[in-house]
Amino acid sequence: MNLLAADLRAFVAAARKELRQQRRYPTLFLGLLFWPVLLPASWVLMGHAYSGNDPAALAAFAERAGSPDVAGFVFVGYAMYMWLSSLLWGSGTALRQEQMRGSLEAVFVTPASRLVPLFGPGVAMLIPMSLTFVIMGVALWAFFGVVPPLAAVLQAAVVVITGVPALYAIGTLFAASVLRFGEVGPVVQLVRGMFVLACGITFPVAMLPLWAQVWAWLMPPTYIVEDLRRILLRGANLADVGPHIAIVLTIAALIALLAVFVFRALETSARRSGMLGRF
Amino acid sequence: MGELRAALAIARKDIRGFSRYRVAVASTVFTPLYQFIIPAFLFGAAFAVNGRQAGLSATLGTEDLPGFIFLGGLVGGLISIAFWGIAFSLRSEMDMGTLEPSWLTPTHHETFVIGRALGSMFWFVLSQAALFAFGIWLLGLRLRAEMLLALPALVLAVFAMVGIAYLLAAVVLLIREANFFVDTMQFAVGTMSGTAFPVTLLPGVLQPIALALPTTYAIDILRSQALGSRPLFDTGLEYVVLVLLTALTYPLGRWAFARAERTMRRRGMLAQY
Repeated sequence: MNLLAADLRAFVAAARKELRQQRRYPTLFLGLLFWPVLLPASWVLMGHAYSGNDPAALAAFAERAGSPDVAGFVFVGYAMYMWLSSLLWGSGTALRQEQMRGSLEAVFVTPASRLVPLFGPGVAMLIPMSLTFVIMGVALWAFFGVVPPLAAVLQAAVVVITGVPALYAIGTLFAASVLRFGEVGPVVQLVRGMFVLACGITFPVAMLPLWAQVWAWLMPPTYIVEDLRRILLRGANLADVGPHIAIVLTIAALIALLAVFVFRALETSARRSGMLGRF
Repeated sequence: MGELRAALAIARKDIRGFSRYRVAVASTVFTPLYQFIIPAFLFGAAFAVNGRQAGLSATLGTEDLPGFIFLGGLVGGLISIAFWGIAFSLRSEMDMGTLEPSWLTPTHHETFVIGRALGSMFWFVLSQAALFAFGIWLLGLRLRAEMLLALPALVLAVFAMVGIAYLLAAVVLLIREANFFVDTMQFAVGTMSGTAFPVTLLPGVLQPIALALPTTYAIDILRSQALGSRPLFDTGLEYVVLVLLTALTYPLGRWAFARAERTMRRRGMLAQY
């Protein structure tokens, strides 16, 4: 078996291991039913409080958000929030969990490529994420009566799939930092906070000051959320969001390269300083 | 007197322990800012018409968006203390294996809860001061003298939350995995108390639960006296209900905590997790 095929097998094994661990803790899946529904629902009710059903207030929101549909706007934004959360807490902290269990060194002495433990756990997050999207869609329909056309949902699915590499690369870049910082829990909060504030999760990006908007448009989640809202709430199609998809894929490639580079540099440093086993 | 000294010592120990984690200390300010205050402010501002909050005024009778958010966040912070700072911290002590030695000391076990409440209040006051300073500096939050009129409601809410913390501590000590329970219950109680939106917007089935929570009245009194918003009921009546609920919650919490403690000692669960 050549090296590439062996690494591929190790990659699949790493993903299977993560999936098996998820299955062993079924209570973790309770959160999948609770948070994707109630978090955005509470923000929709906040929107009702702020609008007071006043036509002028709703028109002002529509002008800034590009859509008068407050519930749809919030749920799409929160879908990205849930995606980022599971990415940063899941694959983003996978190396840290190996470190805490004392198995990181053991994994690193196997002949498999170092990129396997770095990229492998991310695959396992795709299943809970897909479930989250489905649950949010059902909640949006059941509680707020918002049902986007099937064609729009399918096109939105394409945007999500093309966004996977970018989000995956962000999670991987973050995961690599474990080798330098060790405890990353507070950093997860910080990074997630940055995304929440910059990427138009719960409010239109247009509400940010200009300098912050420039930063926002350097982040792939901003494009993905905006494209999903355009397709699901404003009737745009894939051709309309094509340039954004190209930008997201380009940024994804750059971040993935950066993640590999950072990981190699930090791994070398961690092996010299003996940081791998410390926590 | 001895119990008071013990409570202060527990509070001091908690303050010292938490202050060693500087990022965690910073996150007591940063997390509410990014999770609630700034997004809620910008979300609300997106509904503004010519700089005026006509929609909020129609809902609540006040246009003071920053005041609405920060006062909701203030009571939300108190709720968070009861759930995480007090109830869940007993669980952490259990995980670290120090609950048994602590409970073998002659200090009353209820005093541990009071000590943790005092320690958490220290960080609560500091973080709220930082958050309000941020609000005044960047979000146009204005403090008014009338806010002081709502202080009795806030003090009552603190007592009610200590009672609820006893109740929660009882549950947390008895169940194996408390993280999800504490997280979801904190969100549910905060949301149903009206920290982020008026309880009148809740689905009908949840409104009776909201009206049974002391924090609902504390927030409503706070907002009506500090911002001039329309209260749910007459403010005097809300005070009466708040006093009654606090008087009920505190002994109920103490009773539940004592029952849980007895159960754990009988079953030898103190060191199990």
